[in-house]
Amino acid sequence: MAIRVTLDRILLDRRMSLTELSDKVGVTLANLSILKTGKAKAIRFSTLNALCRVLDCQPGELLSYEPSEDDAELERADAAAE
Amino acid sequence: MKALGKGSIASIVRVGLQIAWVVLWVLAGLLAIGAVAYGIVLALIANGAIDPALLSGGEGQIRVGDSGSFRVSYDERAGATWPVVVPAFLIGGVAIAGSLVIVWRLKKLFDSFSSGEPFRRENAQHLRAIWITMIAIEIARYALMGLTGALLAFYGDNVRANYSFSIDLSTWGSILILIVLAEVFREGARLKEEQELTI
Repeated sequence: MAIRVTLDRILLDRRMSLTELSDKVGVTLANLSILKTGKAKAIRFSTLNALCRVLDCQPGELLSYEPSEDDAELERADAAAE
Repeated sequence: MKALGKGSIASIVRVGLQIAWVVLWVLAGLLAIGAVAYGIVLALIANGAIDPALLSGGEGQIRVGDSGSFRVSYDERAGATWPVVVPAFLIGGVAIAGSLVIVWRLKKLFDSFSSGEPFRRENAQHLRAIWITMIAIEIARYALMGLTGALLAFYGDNVRANYSFSIDLSTWGSILILIVLAEVFREGARLKEEQELTI
């Protein structure tokens, strides 16, 4: 997945633990851990909203895009189709 | 009455499958005993203890011990000769073995349905195994029918056989439905996994 969740960096900036965030956001520690380790397949707008509210940040600060091999292959396939 | 979960229709079907599982093993045992017994009869015929005429129909003599003997009559002409009996055992064996695989896989499927979780990756694999087994049984059936016909043509001198060929469209229809259902379950399992990883 080319989308990275930068939750650990923001937590470090805010000097907040994952347990504390879990209590404030109302998302289980297990689910936040899945999100932090990049294992999540999708994120709900409601979860994103709660995270941005508690961490006082924009959605773009939580997510970043890093092109991967899969994306390069998709681009090649698109170019071949054109 | 609910269809999935505890105390559901799926649980009742699960009990039925458990009974079918036991019945099939009993049939498998009986078939094995029958095959062994037929092998012993053929050995005794080769040994001269049993009159070969018995298996070809009509009246035959069975010798017991050194001096004793009794007569047995069998009125189906050539009905028990090996070109008839051996393919029958093979057809029975394939049918029972295939049914055991199918019932075992169905048991696993309905265990999952009874627990209320139908969309698992294993269930797609169980359905796939069932349709592959059904294809194998159907093809084996055609092959064994052909073998029976060939054996009767070459060795069944006293057998009056009627040859016909039939394709069971309902079986092939069921196979096609199972192929689609297996993919539906695979997609369902994928969506469930995705949903579980949606935060």
